[in-house]
Amino acid sequence: MTSPLLSITGINKSFPGGVIALDDVSMEFYPGEVTAILGENGAGKSTLVKILYGIYSPDKGDIFFQGKRIVIGSPIDAIKKGIVMVSQIPQLIDRLTVAENLSLSLTSVGLFESMKNVRRVFKEISDKIGIKINPDAKVWSLNYTQKQLVEIARAVLLDAKVLILDEALTYLPVEERRKFYVYLQRFKEEGRSIVLITHKIPEALEISDRIYILRRGKVVGSLVRENATLEQIRELMFGEAAKLITYERFSNPYEIQVGEPIIQVENLVVEGEYGEIAVNKVSFKARAGEIIGIAGIVGNGQRELLEALVGLRRIRSGRVIIDGVDVSNKGVGVIREKGVGFIPDQPLRYAVSAENTIVENIAALFSRQQVVINWSSMIEITNKLIKEYSIYPPNPNIHVKLLSGGNIMKVVVSRELEYATRALLAYNPTRGLDEATATFVRKKIKEKAVGDKVSIVFASEDLDEVLQLSDAVFVMNRGVLYGPFDPVSTPRSKIEELMVM
Amino acid sequence: MKYGGLIVVALSLLTGIGVFALFSWSIGINPYYVIESILTTFIFPGIVKDFLILSLLGYALLIAFKGSLWNIGAEGQMHMAIIASVYVTLILFFTTEKSLPIHVSIGVVLLSIVLATIAGALWGGLAGAIKAYTGVDEVPVTLILNYIAYFIGNILVYGPFRGKYVWGYVRTDLLPAPYKLSISVKKTITGDPIVDTLNGYLVEAIIYSSWITALIIVAIFTYWLFNKSSLGLKIKILGSNPDYLVTLGVNVKKTTVTAFMLSGAIAGLTGALYYHGALWRLEYPLEYQTMGYGYLAILVTWLSMLDMKFIPISAYIVSALIMGSQRVSSLPVVREAFAVIGLGGAEIAFRLLMFGSVLLSYSILRFIQDYEIRVVKS
Amino acid sequence: MIPVDLLIDKILPAFITFYLVSLGHSIFEKSGILNLAIDGIFFAATGAAILGAYLLLPIIPYPPIAGSVLAVLVSILLGLFMSTVLTFLPISHGAVGLSLQFFSYGVGIILGYSVRMRYGTVYQIAYTREDVLELLVISIVIGLTLHVLIEKTKLGVAIRAVGENPHSASALGVKVMHIRIIAAIIGFALMGLGASLFILSWQRTWDFRQYSQGYGWLAFATALAAGRHPIMLIPVSLLFGGLASTQTDISASLKVPTDVAKLIPFLAALILMLVYSSTGLRKIFASPSSLGKPYYKEEKSI
Ligand SMILES: Nc1ncnc2c1ncn2[C@@H]1O[C@H](COP(=O)(O)OP(=O)(O)OP(=O)(O)O)[C@@H](O)[C@H]1O
Ligand SMILES: [Mg+2]
Repeated sequence: MTSPLLSITGINKSFPGGVIALDDVSMEFYPGEVTAILGENGAGKSTLVKILYGIYSPDKGDIFFQGKRIVIGSPIDAIKKGIVMVSQIPQLIDRLTVAENLSLSLTSVGLFESMKNVRRVFKEISDKIGIKINPDAKVWSLNYTQKQLVEIARAVLLDAKVLILDEALTYLPVEERRKFYVYLQRFKEEGRSIVLITHKIPEALEISDRIYILRRGKVVGSLVRENATLEQIRELMFGEAAKLITYERFSNPYEIQVGEPIIQVENLVVEGEYGEIAVNKVSFKARAGEIIGIAGIVGNGQRELLEALVGLRRIRSGRVIIDGVDVSNKGVGVIREKGVGFIPDQPLRYAVSAENTIVENIAALFSRQQVVINWSSMIEITNKLIKEYSIYPPNPNIHVKLLSGGNIMKVVVSRELEYATRALLAYNPTRGLDEATATFVRKKIKEKAVGDKVSIVFASEDLDEVLQLSDAVFVMNRGVLYGPFDPVSTPRSKIEELMVM
Repeated sequence: MKYGGLIVVALSLLTGIGVFALFSWSIGINPYYVIESILTTFIFPGIVKDFLILSLLGYALLIAFKGSLWNIGAEGQMHMAIIASVYVTLILFFTTEKSLPIHVSIGVVLLSIVLATIAGALWGGLAGAIKAYTGVDEVPVTLILNYIAYFIGNILVYGPFRGKYVWGYVRTDLLPAPYKLSISVKKTITGDPIVDTLNGYLVEAIIYSSWITALIIVAIFTYWLFNKSSLGLKIKILGSNPDYLVTLGVNVKKTTVTAFMLSGAIAGLTGALYYHGALWRLEYPLEYQTMGYGYLAILVTWLSMLDMKFIPISAYIVSALIMGSQRVSSLPVVREAFAVIGLGGAEIAFRLLMFGSVLLSYSILRFIQDYEIRVVKS
Repeated sequence: MIPVDLLIDKILPAFITFYLVSLGHSIFEKSGILNLAIDGIFFAATGAAILGAYLLLPIIPYPPIAGSVLAVLVSILLGLFMSTVLTFLPISHGAVGLSLQFFSYGVGIILGYSVRMRYGTVYQIAYTREDVLELLVISIVIGLTLHVLIEKTKLGVAIRAVGENPHSASALGVKVMHIRIIAAIIGFALMGLGASLFILSWQRTWDFRQYSQGYGWLAFATALAAGRHPIMLIPVSLLFGGLASTQTDISASLKVPTDVAKLIPFLAALILMLVYSSTGLRKIFASPSSLGKPYYKEEKSI
């Protein structure tokens, strides 16, 4: 039996305000193995790996690396030991270029050295793991998934011995994912260790050797792959709620009932960050009660399309008509006023204010047009959403920045769903949510469409989600929209082909 | 800890004073005098005037600062307001009468205050508009607008505003008596220090009753703005994540300009009250007349850590230290000690060191209040 | 045509002063710390400059250089204090900066006063005209070097990174404290040097009442008007320095009141900033995102 590369014993961590994020947690990470840490939103996964990476320090407990007790005081300490993390929320600096960001982690680059070498090694690594990103691009011009790709490249560049992936693989494009799995295999063979956090349980079962399950800060399960089953894991993670998880298509007896068109898009042309054509002559209609799902690999114009629809991005030509009114380039305010909900690509950046409380974030949308805020009704809405979506901690007056990644997403999704009375525009609406919540949210979306006759247009990098939810599927590739396809009769392979062609 | 906040305030102040006393002792000044002199200033009625003005301006700045709009232009906004008031009282409605019918007095004073408030709002709004529509950083803009306000004032005082009864001085006439806002009261001295102090506060409160009223209104307004109104919430979000406002469909530019105008309006109101209640005339050059209230207010607002409740507290501390440091530096023991070390005549250094170091340790130690200190095991 | 005397005795020294001080301020603020102590530290350095010119003479035989050296040291010391305390504790940059400003005024008086009383004028310890030309070249070279440093090297990237977002920078592997210390040393060394030239080359007189003149604030405005950009600072400093040092000449030759002459540099700066903003320079000029934000190392980060 080999000894663990990294292990922790009796780790405790509580936060001001009384949240006990980790309670006597012990784990072992072996060389040559993938260890998955699973748990519902707010279970303490990110807190745990932040401790391993030196962002937080534990209140109690010890960390051992190669048998020796160590103190990880800062990320630099961790990097020096070979512990590298790809964060759930990308930690890159927006106004710097990709290469500049990477240079900060590389001890081999001297203080007075230029970015030349960084650019070169990044190119090499990119080819190896299949990433197509310009090292001189400013990070603000990348989207969520691309940022995560850069972070993965960074971890590889740093020659990690322990690689921590906090929800980093979920939305990796097909091709990149394939290459990365090959890379991980080699990585394991070299006797390194991988710590994987994901909400995709089947994926975890497939690639990990050892699985820990966290619930409310405690380890409630420790399994090896051979004797772990999907049901058992879900049961440990969610208890009763596990039964509700489903990836079945929502049966659709309503097809005949879809109503008048709410969103009409005609020959839409939209520019990307650098003035290139990101959305090319796109036309479609979304009727009341209809769910339009746009499949596609990240960076093919989905984000730009949705941003243009909600008024955040200038439309170069073509028209967007909502409820019969031409709203092209009329601004976000006008469009939102029509009862349009919007979940953007980077919700943490664009859809919440972390320094404000949950109820303030909600009031900001619902009381936008009022002079005086009716706080009691805002608290009421907030409490309702907290309960319905089980937002944790269940306190409307807590600052959003103190929530876990998934819980912040719940705030955004629940608020926008509540607000959407005519239409909902969404990008990866269940990103970062655990399976139980994601199922719940998809169901909510379906109900919204069917029950309230809301028209829904969403893009997702998760094809399963698109197929589960949509009434009509489109594929977006290099700014062009293909479709509509019928989600039931169209073979999956045909859609995948369109995505990568 | 219910009074935790206040205890931290008191302790960090006392530490600052203690450190400074030690320093005094090291240059041969008996620290007893220094400490006594500072502490008694905290219960000295003479600081009421500064306290009121700085609190008002503190609220003015708080509104902008909450939105991360670093308005360092209260000074200029105040001066533009005073210029408006001077125009109303010394040009439009100048009078040499000792008294006027009460409705005329009230009418003129109200007009002056309203126009001054508008002038302040416009001067603030100008900075806001520049920030919102061109994206130029508001810090240099408001700083530059302060200087521009000074020089506009100076040019006016040199020219059209120069008084008729000034015997060659470059200044405006005195504010006509019917327009004065301060109520004059006779002070009676009893000899009993406690009675005299209380009495002193009462007298100051009567003299500046209009300022007190304004302060109460402004404080209530600020409370309402940030706790009840949707504009206040938008300003707060503007301060933490303007991108979110954009996604919500809120007009960020309008919010920026409005926050700046509100900030400027309160600074303008303060300017008018100061002019009607204590200043009574403009004198060349303007830079040296208001003791830089507008700049001191920045300190007040920052010391409050943008917490409404702490604006009056930090205004009080700053006013007490302004006067306290002045008193301390004119103590005979200080003068003697300074003469001995070859700094006779430069006692002002002692004053600045004291003011700076006490506030420095105060602002450094305040962090204890908001943050649980964790002992990190190593 | 500008007379040569005016150029060498006033405009150039004023330009160099403004350029160095605003350059130092810019580099320092790029690391994310709001420097509201600038005017105070500027004045403290002027006091140190005339003290140094006498005190350090045994070690450095040329008085103005001795003065500049002490000014640089004092400035660095005060700057380091501010930088470390604000990185170490989550406290208000504004409150600390302004308090330190007043404190530094006091320090400046203590440093300069007795020398001033003993020796009177500053003329005999000032830089010569030839020195001014050398200093001009040196400052421009420093400016260009720093531009390259900030834009191209890893150190520059790290300084910008901690100014943009110290949490992310730290997660990427930057030692926030180290980088801010380096930025403080570079920045305050330049501010101290510039302040020493204010006395030893431009004004050639020192008085303790100068603490209220606010030249430090003018340099502050210069830095921000040029978007903290080492190259853009050159024309803006020339504008500010040129106009600020020739106010009396301008008002005399144009026959306008001095206040109008004083108004000109500020109006010019304002207009300049508006002009930039309408060009593509706007993005480059944006302030560091975390400027002035207290740095919470632990629980408060997302
Ligand atoms: N900085 C903080 N201050 C206070 N509480 C915090 C902080 N960070 C996390 N928490 C709390 O600790 C708990 C665990 O959070 P953590 O981010 O580790 O969850 P997670 O398992 O990663 O969830 P998710 O799947 O949603 O990302 C949550 O209840 C969260 O509210
Ligand atoms: Mg997490």
